[in-house]
Amino acid sequence: MDILYLLIPLSVVLVFCILGGLWWAIDRGQFEDIEREGERILKDS
Amino acid sequence: MPIAGSAPLTPIAPHSGEALQLLDDPQEWSAFSRPYGKTAACWESSVVIEGMHCSACSFTVEDAIAAVPGVLQVQVSAGSHRARVIWSAEQVQPSAWMLAIQKRGYRAMPANDVFASERRRVETRKALWRWLVAGLCMMQVMMYAYPAYTAHPGDLTAEMERLLRWASWVLSLPVMLFSCGPFFGNALRDLRRGSVSMDLPVAIGIAITFAVSSLGTFDPTGVFGRAVYFDSLTMFVFFLLTGRWLELRLRDRTAGSLEALMNRLPESLERLNAEGGFERVAARRLLVGDLVRVHPGEAFAADGVVEQGQTLVDEALLTGEYHALRRGPGTKVVAGSHNLSSTVQVRVQALGEQTRFAQIVALMQSASTTKPATAALADRLARPFLIGVLLAAGLSCLWWWQTDPERALMVAVAVLVVTCPCALSLATPAAMLAAAGNLARGGVMVRNLQALEALSSVDTVVFDKTGTLTQEAMVIGAAEVRAGVSVAEALQMAAALAAHSLHPASKALCAASSLPAYAASAWTCEAVTEFAGQGLEGHAVQGAQECLLRLGSARFCGLTRGASDSLRVHVSDAQGWLASFELREEVRAQAARAVALLQQAGVQVHLLSGDDAESVQRVAAKIGIVQVRGACSPAEKLAVLRDLQAQGRKVAMVGDGLNDGPVLAGAHVSFAFGQAVPLAQAQSDFIVMGGQLLAVVQALQLSRRTMSVVRQNLWWALLYNVAGVPLAILGLLPAWLAGLGMACSSLLVVANALRLTASAQVPKGT
Repeated sequence: MDILYLLIPLSVVLVFCILGGLWWAIDRGQFEDIEREGERILKDS
Repeated sequence: MPIAGSAPLTPIAPHSGEALQLLDDPQEWSAFSRPYGKTAACWESSVVIEGMHCSACSFTVEDAIAAVPGVLQVQVSAGSHRARVIWSAEQVQPSAWMLAIQKRGYRAMPANDVFASERRRVETRKALWRWLVAGLCMMQVMMYAYPAYTAHPGDLTAEMERLLRWASWVLSLPVMLFSCGPFFGNALRDLRRGSVSMDLPVAIGIAITFAVSSLGTFDPTGVFGRAVYFDSLTMFVFFLLTGRWLELRLRDRTAGSLEALMNRLPESLERLNAEGGFERVAARRLLVGDLVRVHPGEAFAADGVVEQGQTLVDEALLTGEYHALRRGPGTKVVAGSHNLSSTVQVRVQALGEQTRFAQIVALMQSASTTKPATAALADRLARPFLIGVLLAAGLSCLWWWQTDPERALMVAVAVLVVTCPCALSLATPAAMLAAAGNLARGGVMVRNLQALEALSSVDTVVFDKTGTLTQEAMVIGAAEVRAGVSVAEALQMAAALAAHSLHPASKALCAASSLPAYAASAWTCEAVTEFAGQGLEGHAVQGAQECLLRLGSARFCGLTRGASDSLRVHVSDAQGWLASFELREEVRAQAARAVALLQQAGVQVHLLSGDDAESVQRVAAKIGIVQVRGACSPAEKLAVLRDLQAQGRKVAMVGDGLNDGPVLAGAHVSFAFGQAVPLAQAQSDFIVMGGQLLAVVQALQLSRRTMSVVRQNLWWALLYNVAGVPLAILGLLPAWLAGLGMACSSLLVVANALRLTASAQVPKGT
């Protein structure tokens, strides 16, 4: 059970890492035109 | 997005190259672009693409722009119909890549709302980010809270419990400091201004919960006990932000489509240059003291004094004066009025903000931000309600303090949270915004949310005829000519005169004269004067031939022939009658069905028109309207409208705004068609794009549904609060349940409103 003393703080750090990743995605506008990338496959060139 | 039951897409008239070149003026760039990167030569422009209907179009447009040398980067969004173009000012001009778009069959408009849409984008990103932070932290805090709920006494060591609380506290910090920012910000602003809003109880509730939980974590032996509520806190914030996020999305969609309406090419006019000639410049470049030439049909871009020429002007939209006013040398003309009859030269006296037009527009803009009456009522009630809530929370806290200080603060929090009038204040705007967004997708712009409320009670719809029930464009039918003159020749003469007027009959003549079937040598006309409502007179010249020509009604041309059953326009010269042309009006395909549907919905339909009674009767019979009045002057139209209103009827007026501006303004609710003059668009409550009459029916049906949703929402919010408060005061409602209840009630209200975004289906058949 002692491992939990490491894992719980680690999970806090992990949440902050995930939040950082989300911020990166939002800041680059990845959630603004969601259909577009999927439809790119229809493009001819 | 294709609209159910829509007419085929109307072809888009391209801009002239000259009009686009106005955009090459660096002064114009700042309206739709901003410098890009560190080098001054690169600009980032935002343009609206018209005519796009699928994502394949966005790739076509993208390729077209990217192929222009000098364009560095381009991105077209199929959803918002906007393109972001980065270009180098040294290598290319905006008109070049706009022409490239036009060559592919689309039309580009500079997006003058670039700042508004950019601000909205930043706002949306931030709101999404706040919401995601709250959501993720909430989930993780729930995990840390779970052992405390399920463990048997003794299972959880004291150290482990403290570690879990510490972890919860750390993850609640971003929620408190970042996600809750708007709540605290608004609450502080309200306190400073001495007002209260629904953010105040929410902020107090959040702050107290966090303080109590923090003390429970770090000082378990203190007066507030060792209870922590991080899970309730983060969940409450997450649900609250979800409601706000949905509301923001809804508002953005509507605001975006409204702002797109404002995108126009810069207004331009002809100015006298140093060489003594006239050149076309953007209105923005005008200076006080310039001499400008204004043609018939154009609007005056500035206040000024006429220096040369005699004309009639239409100031109806500015003053409500519907008679054409005569203006000659030395008299004043005002910006925003229209030149009706002949070309005049005007010395500019006031520009932009100083003109009366700008003042009127500002007035109208402030009027359009007024809140719907029910929302205003909710706001008025909210203040005493909120003060009552704060008092109730304080009193219940005091009362519990005497018996159980550990619970006292959380009871107060429960009262604050459960009574939060979020649902109450969301009830009206959410429903109206959802309806407005729905209408915008169907081609109806709502300029004034209040109008939705008024529209739901409408029981009479008054239509104008020309341009509303019928197509704006008339077509030439049969022609009669004097012996010795060919039809083609007569038509060319008439068209030469008609070119100086904007009357629908004139447009029809001009359109017909360019058909190969009527090819003949062209005439030109000079010294043309328009007699409003009667006809045109001018000197027609072709080579050595010259004559005084009149075009217009039978009486104007000196005819005494018996009235025929169709609409006609006549031409006469010095020798008398020359030719007559029959004009045919095309009734809009949807007109009969729209009228039938309105009558089914229990609405009385009227037709008022300035045209002669017979042709109006004929159109009415075709469409199925019984209450008809033809040959109405604008004053008579207004009188008929007032009569109807005096009988207690709620009247909606549908017109093109060209000569029924005052009537549109006088009706309870007004619809203008998208082709109407810009000011009429600005004045009417609804603007119908693309000339679809069924959209009027849809708007009416949707407004009725909207008001019923608003009523449901208000009742629900009221009942919920009435039931929740006593429970919370008695301590029967824990804070987390209060938070859940409040959030659910907000979500319910928003979800109920979202039902209105489902496209309204007009029943098929008649």
